[in-house]
Amino acid sequence: MFNLTRQERQVIVFLISIGLIGVGVSFTLKNCSPVKAVAALYQDFGKVDLNAADKDLLIKVPGIGEKLSCRIIEFREKNSGFNDLEELKQIKGITESRYKKLKEFFILK
Amino acid sequence: MPGPMLTLTAILCLGIIVAERTGFSFTLFYCSSLIFLALSLASLRKRFLFDIFISCLIFTLGAALLRNARELSARDIAKFIRYQDGQAHIVKGLVDSEPSVKNNRTSFVFKAEGIQIGNLNYASCGRILVYLKEKIDFSYGEELILRGCLSRPANIRNAFGRSYRGYLSDQGIRSVMRVKTGMDLIRLNKNKGFPPKRLAVFLKKKIEGMIFRHTSSPAAAVLDAMILGDKRHIPWFINDSMMRTGTIHILVVSGFNVGIVAFIILLFLKVIRLPRKTRLAVAVLLLIVYCFITGASNPVVRATVMAAVFLLAYLFKREPDIYNSLGLSASFILAFNPRQLFDIGFQLSFVSVFSIIFVYPKIRALLRVESLKIRPLVFLLDGCLVSFSCWLATCFPIAYYFKIFSPVTVLANLAIVPLATLVTLCGFSLIIISLTLPSLAAYFSYTEKLLVMLLLNINAFLARLPAACFDL
Repeated sequence: MFNLTRQERQVIVFLISIGLIGVGVSFTLKNCSPVKAVAALYQDFGKVDLNAADKDLLIKVPGIGEKLSCRIIEFREKNSGFNDLEELKQIKGITESRYKKLKEFFILK
Repeated sequence: MPGPMLTLTAILCLGIIVAERTGFSFTLFYCSSLIFLALSLASLRKRFLFDIFISCLIFTLGAALLRNARELSARDIAKFIRYQDGQAHIVKGLVDSEPSVKNNRTSFVFKAEGIQIGNLNYASCGRILVYLKEKIDFSYGEELILRGCLSRPANIRNAFGRSYRGYLSDQGIRSVMRVKTGMDLIRLNKNKGFPPKRLAVFLKKKIEGMIFRHTSSPAAAVLDAMILGDKRHIPWFINDSMMRTGTIHILVVSGFNVGIVAFIILLFLKVIRLPRKTRLAVAVLLLIVYCFITGASNPVVRATVMAAVFLLAYLFKREPDIYNSLGLSASFILAFNPRQLFDIGFQLSFVSVFSIIFVYPKIRALLRVESLKIRPLVFLLDGCLVSFSCWLATCFPIAYYFKIFSPVTVLANLAIVPLATLVTLCGFSLIIISLTLPSLAAYFSYTEKLLVMLLLNINAFLARLPAACFDL
């Protein structure tokens, strides 16, 4: 059917054997690799420090424009920083619903 | 019978199709493969029995390959997350593709290495399609930490009935991540990833820079697609027009482009008087680099493997067999990712090449083209017949998948392919000139623009012909 010489047949069988072992190992690894916890990292990743952020950084937060960022900085300077994220609600323009969205982006260090 | 490699590849494809259509497990296919392997080994001396057992072995191996490819690793990112829980996840990994920037939004494929669940960080794997609502200049191999919402790809179907989720799954992508701002990412290390691919991406950026510096759009966009296989800058109307005339294949890097590149490389190496054997070996290496530069898509991998087989056959003074090289390239792609068998690009690429090497000589013999005395007429007829045999093989899959039937394809290819060859040659010359004599590059770019405009206008004219294309 294929008219292969003996040497060609041996080469084909050898290559397929190697491939077959590889497929078996790959399948075993996929199913038997233990799921391990490695470390605890980046707890505050992606959050902006409300007491340290400058105007440009504040503007990058979704929902904060130029005016609101100025008001936040003004409030911070007036009160020597934020003690609690809830204080954001005292700033003009930050309603309860807006606060709920914004608090996800901030952290106090 | 065509080369044995092609027949064995057809059997491998059959195994993959059977595994896709049936619900048998990996274990069943794998155990059957082991049995057939033992039987093949036992019958090495008996030709007929060996042929039967090896066919069965390749069939079950194809099925096992697909089952294994469909199996998700226990560490896969898709297994860690509960979709639609609305929570942001933190994932660490590498940028695994060249990022695409469109409408101030960056998207790229991300290879996950770890995920944070609660306060713990787990080793993970799997590919994620990331959408970032900001324009950030990433590069392939950059290590990042991302925070965003993970979800399954939408199960929407396009006009041709193809599922987006299925399409991404065939690329090994099972999750989509939406990152809101640049603040939700940390850039760690820039020099990770597969070094040859990093080199290829670097070279691609350099060449792309040269093209866009010396040529303006749309000529630069067309050149970028024809030489580097990057269609991101092609305007939709050009894409649509070429689709309707069946000449869209010139806008992707395929065997046609690889052939031209091989020709240029061999010519250049001959000019600098390298010995024949070194010339062939260097040409193979450079073709592999070019394959990486163009993103190693199916048509370019097929063409590179075929070209490498031919060049190596000359190197080792063996007679190359085109059917065997075609089969080998298909097996090579399917061994890496058997799901590619269901990719339209893979199917069209192999069907068209098979038609050119199998159907074209038959029609040529039937029409007795060889007996014609007028050489230009033979040349013209050959062009028509190659185009016709290619169209004959691809018109049905195209009608099925894209709901388009283009009778103008044969005529369009007859006019467009020689022009596209000129554009590609001129494009490579432009790159070489802008490297060596940048002051002369302007003249080359004017010629390039003229040729591209001619190509686009001829294509637009053909697309407007009556009965050029029917929407099914």
